[in-house]
Amino acid sequence: MRLLPLGLALATLTACEWVADPMTYTREDVPRFKSKAEHPAPAANPTALKVMAWNVKYGACRVDFWFDFWGDRTQLTTTEVTDCLTKIAALVRKYDPDVLITEEIEVGSKRSAYVDMPRFLLENTNLSYAMYAATWDSSYVPSDGVGRVNLGNAIHSRYPIVKAERIRQADRTDQDPLTATFYLKRGIARAELDLGGGRTVAIYGVHTEAYDQDGTKQKQIKQLYDLAKAESLPWMMGGDFNELPPVCDERADAGTPEGCEGKLRLKGFLDERASASGTQFEQPPYTPSVMKPFYDDFSPSITLARYGIGEAAQQRYFTHSVLGPDGKNDEGVPGNWNRTLDYLFIRQSDAWRDTDVVQGPGVFGITQDAIRLSDHAPVVGTWELR
Amino acid sequence: MKTALLSVLLASAVLAAPRPARDTADVGKQGDYSVGIFNPLRIAIVDGIELEANPLVFFVAPNVNARFRLLGGPLRLTAEAGLSVPTFGLRLMKGFFFPSWATTPNDIGWMVVPRVGVLLSGTVLEHSVWTARADAAFRVPLGPNSATPLNSFVAPLDLLLAAPLTGVCARVGGAYDHALGDTLRLRGEANLFVTGGQGNLTFSGANLGALAPLSQLIVTAHLGLDIAVFKQSRVTVGVLFANFDNGRTQVVAGADGFSDRVRVRSNNFLPTLDYIWAGF
Repeated sequence: MRLLPLGLALATLTACEWVADPMTYTREDVPRFKSKAEHPAPAANPTALKVMAWNVKYGACRVDFWFDFWGDRTQLTTTEVTDCLTKIAALVRKYDPDVLITEEIEVGSKRSAYVDMPRFLLENTNLSYAMYAATWDSSYVPSDGVGRVNLGNAIHSRYPIVKAERIRQADRTDQDPLTATFYLKRGIARAELDLGGGRTVAIYGVHTEAYDQDGTKQKQIKQLYDLAKAESLPWMMGGDFNELPPVCDERADAGTPEGCEGKLRLKGFLDERASASGTQFEQPPYTPSVMKPFYDDFSPSITLARYGIGEAAQQRYFTHSVLGPDGKNDEGVPGNWNRTLDYLFIRQSDAWRDTDVVQGPGVFGITQDAIRLSDHAPVVGTWELR
Repeated sequence: MKTALLSVLLASAVLAAPRPARDTADVGKQGDYSVGIFNPLRIAIVDGIELEANPLVFFVAPNVNARFRLLGGPLRLTAEAGLSVPTFGLRLMKGFFFPSWATTPNDIGWMVVPRVGVLLSGTVLEHSVWTARADAAFRVPLGPNSATPLNSFVAPLDLLLAAPLTGVCARVGGAYDHALGDTLRLRGEANLFVTGGQGNLTFSGANLGALAPLSQLIVTAHLGLDIAVFKQSRVTVGVLFANFDNGRTQVVAGADGFSDRVRVRSNNFLPTLDYIWAGF
């Protein structure tokens, strides 16, 4: 509370621009964007939509940043960002989705060379419409030279976006006031797409908390469930949930049928570095049970039966690795996808086909190597509208 | 209480003549000195030559500036030359304004920053002074450097670190310092700064390419009031305006309901306050 006058003063000093936007909204409309380039028209009155959700790591590809604990970088050159985005756009063009959800996408951030990434994807894919929901907007973050940051979730579409909004998520409560002031403020992107013929669908782009130790992520995931449950339009929700699939119940004792032992790795991932332990970027314990309602009441793109039991079966659907293939961990093991954090869900009355995780070249004829383009893999599928 | 304190301070001022104008080409007589909390310590070591240093940062960023009177009389011309070594001070800001570089040997390089300048002042009315100035500071690297420009949200901080971080900071500016009776001075100042570019990103000895460009022009204007207190001192209050590019963008809505994001310059309005103690 004592920081409030300081915050107000700083806001005044910078002439109407927040040093760190407190994001006091609950739910509000956000701007929509349209491509300047001409793109092929989408299919009229579609019965299915190809969708992709991808955490694009602010266009850094496999440059290791300081909070990853595998590198020291805090800033990218313009060429590094545009080269990376060009490869990301090429992969998106090859899959050619009707809807693209991106997380960790940025506009005007110092670390990503002030590139307007939603605009870049608008002009370099077949997606003609976009909305962007900022979740972190600070004119200066005084931490390791991060500087100006504007990060968020975006939704791109071949069909017109007729409504775009962002919905606020709970903030962490385990940070000191100064850190909390400059920390990101999670939010959900929601877009309504006009498919023609009077049909409208809702798309949710999500990215929940990664480092909290106070149950914030669990609250955020519960909010996502409640929103999806209450949605009146046909809907699809996708993104980085920062949570493992509910193969087991982490609260159950080892050796019980519900226990996770031998079924799902909960800790000790190959990309975790010992030096991160005790820092604000230490991996908190996963709680896959919080995802169970999504699998019980909605339709996931990769079912638990397909996901399987144990790492050998599951690794085909892993979506995340902090460590890239050119790096080795402290035991000399090269980086590779090692856990699933990214998902696509629809309501149970609709159906999926051709779903997968684009871990590398070969999936759907894609030639780009996704593991070199981000620390997350794209999750894809065709959403059959019923 | 505040009124009483102000009355005491003003009553103790010597009312025979206003305080001299500040930051002009005028150079004091031997023994003259002044020092503020933020304003530099300035001492005239002989008639016509002053040394100045900023004590607030002196022990982390040693700095000295010499001022030489070249012309006296109605038109005064003064040359300035100085040097600072900012590296240690900059390194204290690692982890906040600069990367920690915890896992690589990257660091803020050693450097010296020489500075040269010239000021021309003239008197109008009896005690009012106009001043025109031009100066420039340059970075002379003494080793490898991985620090990049700050691009912060307050222009004065960027200006302070412009020469060490962008390689150069040059200025042309003008000021008018008007005496309002014996106790007040009204001062207006405007400056145009040109800094170096963002440069290339150097990391672990490799040149990774150009950083995103930002405008190198910074415009500042300051309006201040000096209030004479005690025998020779003054309190200064004012407002500093700065217009600069720190990567800010704005969303502009179009007639078709779709928007575009455009780059805009940032503005600062900053209060200024100092107490300057002077002696003759």
